[in-house]
Amino acid sequence: MSDTGENSEGGGEDTKTAFEASDDEGAPFSERIVTYGIAAAAGLLLLGVLVGLVNPAYLLSLLSLAAMYGLLSLGLNVQWGYTGLINFSVAAFFGIGAYVPVLLSASGSPISGGYPPLVGLPIAIGVVVVLALAIGVPTLSLREDYLAIASLGLAEVVRLVFRNQSEWTRGTAGVGGIPSFFEGIPFLETFPQSMPVVELGIYRLAVPFWSNLLNFALVAAFVLASYVVLRRVHRSPWGRVLRTIRSDEDLAEALGKNTFAFRMQAFVLGSVVMMFAGVFYAFSQNFLTPGIFDPIFTFYAWIAVILGGSGSNRGALFGGAVLVAIVEGSRFIGLGASFRLLAVGLLIVAVMRFRPQGLLPPRDELVWPSAKRGESRD
Amino acid sequence: MPQLLNYLANGLVFSSIIVLGAIGLSLVYSIANFANFAHGDTMSVGAYAALVTLGAVGTAGPEILELPVGFYAALVAGIAVAAVVAVLTHVVVYRPLDTDSIGMLITSIGVAFVYRAAIQLQFGNDFREYDVDILRPVPWIEDATGVTLTEHELAIVVVTAVLVVGLHLLLQYTTLGRKMRATADNEDLAKISGIRTDRVITSMWVIGAGLAGAAGVFLGLFNQLGPRMGFDLLLVVFAAVILGGIGSVYGAMAGGFLIGMLNRLTPVLSDVGIPIKPAYANAIAFVIMVLVLLVRPRGIAGGDGG
Repeated sequence: MSDTGENSEGGGEDTKTAFEASDDEGAPFSERIVTYGIAAAAGLLLLGVLVGLVNPAYLLSLLSLAAMYGLLSLGLNVQWGYTGLINFSVAAFFGIGAYVPVLLSASGSPISGGYPPLVGLPIAIGVVVVLALAIGVPTLSLREDYLAIASLGLAEVVRLVFRNQSEWTRGTAGVGGIPSFFEGIPFLETFPQSMPVVELGIYRLAVPFWSNLLNFALVAAFVLASYVVLRRVHRSPWGRVLRTIRSDEDLAEALGKNTFAFRMQAFVLGSVVMMFAGVFYAFSQNFLTPGIFDPIFTFYAWIAVILGGSGSNRGALFGGAVLVAIVEGSRFIGLGASFRLLAVGLLIVAVMRFRPQGLLPPRDELVWPSAKRGESRD
Repeated sequence: MPQLLNYLANGLVFSSIIVLGAIGLSLVYSIANFANFAHGDTMSVGAYAALVTLGAVGTAGPEILELPVGFYAALVAGIAVAAVVAVLTHVVVYRPLDTDSIGMLITSIGVAFVYRAAIQLQFGNDFREYDVDILRPVPWIEDATGVTLTEHELAIVVVTAVLVVGLHLLLQYTTLGRKMRATADNEDLAKISGIRTDRVITSMWVIGAGLAGAAGVFLGLFNQLGPRMGFDLLLVVFAAVILGGIGSVYGAMAGGFLIGMLNRLTPVLSDVGIPIKPAYANAIAFVIMVLVLLVRPRGIAGGDGG
């Protein structure tokens, strides 16, 4: 989080678009607040662990959830933040990522089951690419608000299929008997059971802890890989074309770019990243129901991206963490789903009203660090 | 054959609800220029306001179409509360915003969550029903045509017809209607012609949300009430608006009628050999919506506002 970047986004317009920062006098300030906020939250969690309020196993599951929402918002950030695609079908890709490998591996699966989850992963990627093309081909050339409605509609079609085709998915009854993601892999398969029980005074690190640790490692690996890949591709010529499409599509066309193809590539790439969130979610649960296709997950991803700052990868991760703080925090202090919905709703309204560019707006993510220091890069 | 007539009659009732919802959504689209995702939850607000009112005034007294007068009072309350809530939202949330139509769209999602959360906090997640008798189909209609239609369903169709005709008269024959059409066509031109567009926009919220409130009350009478009732219908209403042409009130009426009918005619598909479960009724509406967007991005009747 550097304070030195020059903000190149233009002010001077009458209205701010939802992803454009205006003059950024306040940005370093907001970033300081965010940094302190993160530090304070981390300190509180650590303190909670030390005084015995937060079980380390629970802490790991919180971190894993934050990483999962981070994956959803990283994926959406490719589509909306970089390309300006207003995709409301996040939940469909989240759900496919969960269902496809589970249907292939779970013992309660009505179609096959028994394959190692790792085999399901490439198949899930294949299904997601096909679904992204199926949703993208008809919708990506639509005007942005029509794209929102159409993609939400198509995501609902996917949800209805998974709800009603019970001969493939068991419908609302759900699929049980989900194995560990590492089933069939030596050592990792039995890692939670083979680790020793560690006595730490107030805590006892046993199987649940080690199994959460393994899950966390899985989702952290997904996040890390996605983050590195996305950061790299965003800074590439490909990423610059996306940025041009977002700010001026006609210009991109005039430069000879096939904007539809670029939009489609961004759509597919983002959808695959979202899929990984679904994979993690499914294998950290015992049971999978079509509830995973609920549009609320789409809106959660949107909040995370907008709160963090559209177009900003670190913002997307931050948004995911805030979301978990709201969702799990309200659960922790005993507030129900209605309060959560209220908090999320008010948060959306407040961010759009007071800080539409988000708390960590993108500033120099598309600039090579060397270029920023004024060096040439050849 | 009577079965088909039954589907059609049922479709007419469901269409009425969709039409009422679609008009408001289309008005907001044409005058405030954004896709209002809170419109479905505005319906729920109206429905629950009517539930409270009906509980307060009771079901005693004379009846019209087998519905107590108290129900009609509750309907008016549902319309009024939805309108007031929408105008307040406009003043507190939408008007101070400095953003584009996508920013408005995203904000309206937040507003939708706030409405729904408020309903959940007050009434819980359980399904509820209006305290009116469940009716048998009207005998003379059933005898004459074999169509099973209750008087409540007749009431939905009749009141919807009254509201729609009223809106038509308002748009075509009153000063406010002319101002609304002018503002929908070109807000800047309307403004420099001396129309106080602020007032027009406020009236637009009153009318659009009021009709949504009525749609919510009827949806509650047709099915039952739940906090997600309006949100679950929102995409179907969007499908109607897009089919009819975004921003066109008359298009919304036509689109609402068609989508409502199609929705209830889904069982016919399996009768003629296309094995699509009735559970996919909404999915069919969404696919039609996408097809329309592809072929005619401004909808079948689209092109001109008002």
